[in-house]
This record gives sequence, structure tokens and C-alpha cells, in this order.
Amino acid sequence: MSFAPRPAVQPWKRANTNRRILIVLASILPLLITAGLVIATGIDSSLATIVVFLPLQVIAAGFVGFNAYGRRGFGDALLVVVTIFFSAFVLIMLLSVFLSVITEGSKALSLQFLTQNNVYISNTTSLEYGGVGNAIVGTLLIVGITTILAVPLGIAMAVYLTQSQSKLRGVVRTVTQALSGLPSVVSGLFVLSIIVTFGFEKSGIFGSIALFPLMLPTVARVAEEALKLVPSDLRLAALALGAPNYKAFFQVILPAAKSGLVTALLLGLARVIGETAPLLLTVNVNNGTSWDPFNGPMETLPAYVYGYLSSSFNSAHQRAWGAGLVLLILVAFLFGLARFLGRAKSMKSKPTKQKASK
Amino acid sequence: MTSLTKASTLSSEDISVWFGQRQVLSNVNLTFPANKVTALIGPSGCGKSTFLRTLNRMHELIPSAGLSGSVFLDGEDIYGEDYDAVTVRIKIGMVFQKPNPFPTMSIKDNILSGLRLSGRKIGNAEELVETSLRRASIWNEVKDRLNDQAISLSGGQQQRLCIARSLAMDPEVLLMDEPCSALDPGSTRRIEETIKELSSSMTIVIVTHNMQQAQRVSDQTAFFLADDNTPGGVVEFGATEQIFNGPIDQRTNDYVNGHFG
Repeated sequence: MSFAPRPAVQPWKRANTNRRILIVLASILPLLITAGLVIATGIDSSLATIVVFLPLQVIAAGFVGFNAYGRRGFGDALLVVVTIFFSAFVLIMLLSVFLSVITEGSKALSLQFLTQNNVYISNTTSLEYGGVGNAIVGTLLIVGITTILAVPLGIAMAVYLTQSQSKLRGVVRTVTQALSGLPSVVSGLFVLSIIVTFGFEKSGIFGSIALFPLMLPTVARVAEEALKLVPSDLRLAALALGAPNYKAFFQVILPAAKSGLVTALLLGLARVIGETAPLLLTVNVNNGTSWDPFNGPMETLPAYVYGYLSSSFNSAHQRAWGAGLVLLILVAFLFGLARFLGRAKSMKSKPTKQKASK
Repeated sequence: MTSLTKASTLSSEDISVWFGQRQVLSNVNLTFPANKVTALIGPSGCGKSTFLRTLNRMHELIPSAGLSGSVFLDGEDIYGEDYDAVTVRIKIGMVFQKPNPFPTMSIKDNILSGLRLSGRKIGNAEELVETSLRRASIWNEVKDRLNDQAISLSGGQQQRLCIARSLAMDPEVLLMDEPCSALDPGSTRRIEETIKELSSSMTIVIVTHNMQQAQRVSDQTAFFLADDNTPGGVVEFGATEQIFNGPIDQRTNDYVNGHFG
């Protein structure tokens, strides 16, 4: 028996010429008609996209589907058009936010912008002076302290919710969910009332405390889902080998849930790193660079953006955009770092020396 | 390749089991002599897997579980004050229906996981890994990739890895809960050969739905049955030869000949 390799074929994708023409027409016509209408009548193009293009595209695709497969073809075509349309809609919105931050922000970005602080800088100062170094330090310290507080506690809550049989779990879960709806400004006001009542000075640590109740529910919820996904088989297997509960948890369940727990950390981080209101209330702003979260005000990136946005000068706006871009880059960097560390650790068990086989 | 401990005799005395208010097993009295293979057979839902779990105290992990009676390991009650669940599970190993190697560990670490998890010292790791894998007859297939992740193995290999993982603990008794139900005939045959070899160094109890398997591997057989809305129990218990070729009870005869269940 001889075997000659042949290229793979996909016979289910075969379509006759008529249907091909219909598909091409259905893909082009609605767009052409909409474009023509916009040019001829001058109506708003985004309005036309939703009022004219979407219905036309639905009708066209529905007709092609119905022509090919009857009613089920109509349903399939409708689903395809609607999902693609709304995915594209969301994608374009997100990309335009990204693009404007990157194009506007990159004008301000330079090494000096990352390292210098905001002392002696005013709304009209040229972009060659000053930067967000003080805000980067403040954001990292404040969010770092929040993370150190909230992540272990959030994971501990998730462990309680998934591993114990306690009857109080329902209460804890409900309270956590309620907490996740807490407006950040309320959290800030609460901490501010403590500061005022006891006569403290506004400082970084109070910012961390104000961010804590915002981060905790996110971490706890996501970590709970991650731990739920670990098959109960694994825990039983560990216990059947004579493992005490804590070792079964630390050596088997936790490693199996690790990538999910890293996601919990990242979503928690994303929840708080851009918060502005609670920080303005509890940390205040500081043009100088402060490394001490326990004494005096600190600058943070969101507060920096807020401060320069309220000005009417062009260079001030560019500083705000620049700080926004730095925040985006910082988040991307932290996400990448967490994923890298999460992966590197799981590889650790692999590269042990391989003994020559007998 | 010698076993550190001797095989032990395991026996149950008047074991009854509840889930909440519902009794699912009633007065099970069975003896599993050292170095013998005992098969537990019976239709689904008759309580044989539940009974198996009472033998190494895995049953008590279910929150609504209840139990009366005793299980004796070499004359000592494993539910008595001198024993705790962890000690019992170290001496009495278990292989589950579905292969469940630890997915985050390498093949080698899976073998060593039992000792690590139960907090015991690992003497010669390399030797223990090889010995355990050889006893589960999977050494030749994995010896060149001991550091690969365990989930890279096929289903049958994973199950034999799980057996090897139990063997690394050097158990006195090995409990197997339908270990071949998810495997192909080739893997099943290899595991059956492994069971026969292992019985020289330990006591084995195996739950199976496969009549031929029970006949091939076991020395004695217990037939479990639960009538409608009554707790399950042992209908007949004796030498495998007798259960399959000359059962005393009519229901045993019907079951082993495939008339119901």
C-alpha cells in the first residue's frame, strides 16, 4: 500500500458560485449604501452605523443564510452579524481610548518625565522640565501596601469559602459581594473621618487603608472561583496519602489554583491602581518625592492626572495625558511581571538533573 | 525490592453506614486475609465503594457521613482511640476510579508526594522512585522522562502512576475503587498483572464491575446488594471460585451470570 501525502481539504466549506456572489454582495452592499447615504445627506456617521448599517447588514446576512439553509441559516447568520458587530464596537471603543492615551501621552513622555518630580512646575512650564517620578513612587508604595494587606486576606477568605463546611460562609459571601459595590469615594470618606477624628496627618498609609476595602472583595471573589476549579479529586488523593489538611492545601490545591490566584491579584490591582477620589481625600497631593508612606502627603498618578486636567493650558493637559500613559505602562508591566513570576515558579519542579537510565 | 512492612489482615465488624438520616449499609462483616486479593462486586448504588472508603477512613470526609461498627487492622480498631485518620491512610493506601495524579508535579514528584505530604523522610529518592514505578510496571515507559509533568501521560499510565504513588508509601493494605473502569483493555491487563504481583507483599481489596476481572485477579469475592429502599449489605462472601461457579444464594447466581444489575 502506497501513501502519497495530500494537502488537507475542507469539503464542508464548499460553496457554489451563486452563493459566493451572494456572500460577497451581503458583505459589501450594506457598507456601500450606508457610506453613500452619509455622503449624500450628511447625517452623523456613527448614527448611520447603528440606524442604517446594522439593520441592513442583518437583513443581508439573514437573506444569505435563509437562501442557503432556510430558517436555521437565518438564525445562524443573525447571530454572526450581531456578535461581530458588537465585538467590533467594543474593540473600537477600547482601541480609541488606548490610541488617544498613547498619541497624546507620548508627547510628554521622556526619561526626565519618568524620573523628575513636580517641584517648581506650574501649568505653563515647558514639558522639558518636571515629571511624574514622585507620582510613580507614591502609586507603587500605596498600592503595594494595599496589595500586601488585601491579597493574603482575600485568598484566606476564598479558602474559608471553598474549603470549610462552616454555616457562616453564606454570610461572608453576601457581605463580600455587598462590599464590592462600595463606591470608592465612600471608602475614602470613611478613612478621612478617622483622620479628622483622631487628628492624624494625611499620608500614604491612609490611602492604602482606603483602597483596601476596594481590593479585598475582588481578590476574594476571583480567588474563590479559582479554588473552586481545582478538582476535589486532588484533595481526596492527597488526604488518601496521609496528608494533613494544611499540607494537602499548600502542596496540592494551592499550586493547582496558582494561575487563577495570580489573576485574582491582577484584577484586584487593576481595581485600585487608578482610583483617584479616596487618594485625594486621604493622601492629598505632594509636588515633591516622598518615600515615606507613614509621614505626610504623597503624589499618585491618578491624582497627578486630575490635578493637571483641571487646568486650561495645553502643556498641563499633555502632562495629564503623559501621566495616564505612564499608568497604563505601569499596569501592563505589573501584569507581565506577575504572569512571568507565576509561570517561572511552576517550572521550578522541572529542571532537576535527569539521571541516566539503566 | 523487599517490602519494609509485612502485609496485614484487615477485617470489618458490623459496619453500618449512614448519609444524613439515610442508612446505606447494614452490618457488613468481612475479613481480608494478608496477601489475598478480595473483590467486591455488586450493582451500582449497593454501597461497595462506600464500604471501601470506611476501610481507610476516607468515608468521614463527607460532612453528613455516619458510621457504626469497627474495622480491625491486625487486631487493632482503626476507629479506636489509638489510631487517627492520617495514620490509617498512611498504612492503607487507595487508588481511585479516575486517575488523579497531581497535575502541578512531575512524575518523580508524584511518586515522592506521599512521603512529603505525610511528613516522612525520604531516604534514597532515586531508588524509591524506580522501585515504586517498577512495582506498578510503568518504569520502562517513563524512565527517560521522570521530570515531565504527570498529566502528559496517557490515562492508563496515569492510573499506574497513581498505583506507584500509593506503593511508594509501602502500604500494608491497598484499596482499589474500580481502578480500570476508565481504561482500555491493554492498560487493564497490565494493572491486573500488577495486582497479582503486589499481592505477595500486601493485602488488596478491589471494587469492580467487571466479572471477568474479579475472576482473574481475586482469591475471594464478596457480593453486595441493596434491595429497593433498604440499606445495602453482603449477600454472599467466599472463595472467588465458589462465588462464580457454585453460589449458594440465588441472587448471587443471577448477578454473576448477568441476569440483573
